Amino acid sequence: MDLKFSAEEERFRGEAREWLESNGPSADQRGEEPRQRAEFDRQWQRTMFDAGWAGINWPAEYGGRGASLMEQLIWYEEFARAEVPDPTTLFVGLKHGGPTLIACGSDEQKAFHLPKILSGEVVWCQGFSEPGAGSDLAGLQTRATIDGDDLVVTGQKIWTSFGDIAEYQELLVRTDPDAPRHKGISWVICPMDAAGIDIRPIRTIAGHEEFCEVFYDEVRIPRANIVGPMNEGWKVAMSTLSFERGTAFLAEQVRLARLVDELVEVARRTPLETSSQRAMALEDDEIARRLAQNRAEVEALRAMTYRSVSRTARTGMPSSEASLIRLFFSELQQRVCALAMDILGSRILDWEGQSDAHPERGTWVFHYLLSFSATIAAGTKEIQRNIIGERILGLPR
Amino acid sequence: MDLMQSEDQDAIQETVRSFLSDRLPLDRTRVLAAQFTTTEGAGEPAAIWRDAGSLGFFGLGLPQERGGAGFSVTEEMILLQEIGRVLAPGPWLGSVVAAGIAADEGERAAIVAGERPCALVAVASGDRFEVSGTEASGSLARVADAGFAQALLVRAGDGWYYVRRGDDWRVEAGRSLDPMRPLASLSFAGAECSEVASGAAAERLDDRVTALSCAEAIGGIESTVNMSVEYCKVRTQFGKPIGSFQAVKHRCADMAVRAEVARSATIYAVVSLRDAAADAAHHVAVAKLMCGDAYLKNGADNIQNHGGMGFTWECDAHLYMKRAHSFDLTFGARPAQLDTLVREMRAL
Repeated sequence: MDLKFSAEEERFRGEAREWLESNGPSADQRGEEPRQRAEFDRQWQRTMFDAGWAGINWPAEYGGRGASLMEQLIWYEEFARAEVPDPTTLFVGLKHGGPTLIACGSDEQKAFHLPKILSGEVVWCQGFSEPGAGSDLAGLQTRATIDGDDLVVTGQKIWTSFGDIAEYQELLVRTDPDAPRHKGISWVICPMDAAGIDIRPIRTIAGHEEFCEVFYDEVRIPRANIVGPMNEGWKVAMSTLSFERGTAFLAEQVRLARLVDELVEVARRTPLETSSQRAMALEDDEIARRLAQNRAEVEALRAMTYRSVSRTARTGMPSSEASLIRLFFSELQQRVCALAMDILGSRILDWEGQSDAHPERGTWVFHYLLSFSATIAAGTKEIQRNIIGERILGLPR
Repeated sequence: MDLMQSEDQDAIQETVRSFLSDRLPLDRTRVLAAQFTTTEGAGEPAAIWRDAGSLGFFGLGLPQERGGAGFSVTEEMILLQEIGRVLAPGPWLGSVVAAGIAADEGERAAIVAGERPCALVAVASGDRFEVSGTEASGSLARVADAGFAQALLVRAGDGWYYVRRGDDWRVEAGRSLDPMRPLASLSFAGAECSEVASGAAAERLDDRVTALSCAEAIGGIESTVNMSVEYCKVRTQFGKPIGSFQAVKHRCADMAVRAEVARSATIYAVVSLRDAAADAAHHVAVAKLMCGDAYLKNGADNIQNHGGMGFTWECDAHLYMKRAHSFDLTFGARPAQLDTLVREMRAL
């Protein structure tokens, strides 16, 4: 058992750290408006691509770094430590669409799409969930009929992040309504400028427009855009899951650790309203214990992630413990944000929305509101518990 | 970087597990545990101890030139994890720690051979412990394995002391909450005593003891998960295994998360200690806190999952729940660990 990295790995760390420090843009420049951010993210991704740092876990033959598991872990740690912004506008292409094409795409699809995704030239979005198909994704109803060389798509998707910015969408449609639910689905590359697509942004509880509803009214998509065999779309979608090795999680862990440390500093300089002596929040024993508990849990999370990556390095398989870590992380994140609200007290009532520039209140209330999605998006905490119970513990369905 | 067990560690785990399953299975040790409070020298506990000694259990972490196996605290963690998994009675932790710290070669050899079981105790308020030259006398209210022990490692004042059992050694067994770790009051006088660590060295020994105590705890925490999962797979109601009901399934999932948190934090702390990391003490405090939280909640959830049966003496669930309490309250309960972490945090 070892916590140390090899000399080569430490050299890699040094290289990554130096490059990020010299070339990483500041988060201040990213802006608030989605289109402004999209442009920033494309440029930042291009910078990484030109320097050979894009696609840290993509195979080298597709333009990625092809880094080892430990190098990936190190990259994500250094990325978060450098406090450079994550080009989140590009996350669907980089983390889902691209890896799916690598696993299941045709040579033409790979040759056309992968370089554009990796260099930040195009933004992808995801068309999976529907109003009637969230946790039960296999219940999706968006219908695609075959007409010559085209699919004709009619239906609706929801929660499509960056739907109003993206050039392409990874779209799951029902091509065979008579087959068992998981077996009549196809994974299709949908050009977002196709005729018949109507995109409507949705406002979140944080007041911003993070994602969209997308309506399809007899949208024609070439059959050549189907990835993998027709009606095998469920398997194609699942192939992305085996790509993720848990290393990207280190960035989340570092960011959460940073967040908690920032909260300690907020507590140090913010008077607690409920204190009769107007003591700073950090001097209050209850607040301090909750903060210390959260800090300890963040460190335990790091240990869990290291263990999970160690397991993957050993077995070559994605760690089933990933669900455990995701669940623990999302609930911890919510606890930290809720604690921030208790530290700030009634100041939070004056929140002005996403543009609130108040140094403490603005960010922390926004983080807190966003944190409600942590246990809903990408697998609700109920589904995570089912996965842990059934797939890790072997309990019956 | 690799936080999984090595092949050597797997082999040690298998050896220990097999020994315990043969000599100290939980259904027998429920009865045998009391003997460790009262029995000296002869009988089954003594035979088990000598056999464990000859298998090299106590000297795992000692260098080979000092009679050990040449491993380190990480392998001691593997041993103690298995001990904790089946709540094996006896002064395992004390003997492992004493093997590494005993100043006298003869003592060390005896400890490693399994001839000198060594209990471990921290002097508490109301206790008396006095050292005069090379002799100690004392009166300690809560000592585990007091009857079986041939030596004692005592944390008192600024230091740790190694005390040899003498003729004047009075054990009065009482009743204890934790049936697998029955406590007794111990008084002694004129016992041979040497200080084995003081000041900063004593604090480092505190960390070692606490970390190895966490190692024991993670074995027990895993047992609570395994017990619950196995039961929930076979117990049926309303025509289905109860593990298929979401409330039960989700409770088991939460137990599994806590076990992984505790295990990961403990491994991190033990490896940090082995490598003398500057922040090892901090990671030990984190581990003790995480293990305390996990063991107590899992101990309770395991009872709940067993329904009416979980409320019986006969079911093993209460043994783990009670061990969770005795674990938490020894070497710094959760509030004490939190206070340590708060002090550090405020000083950042």
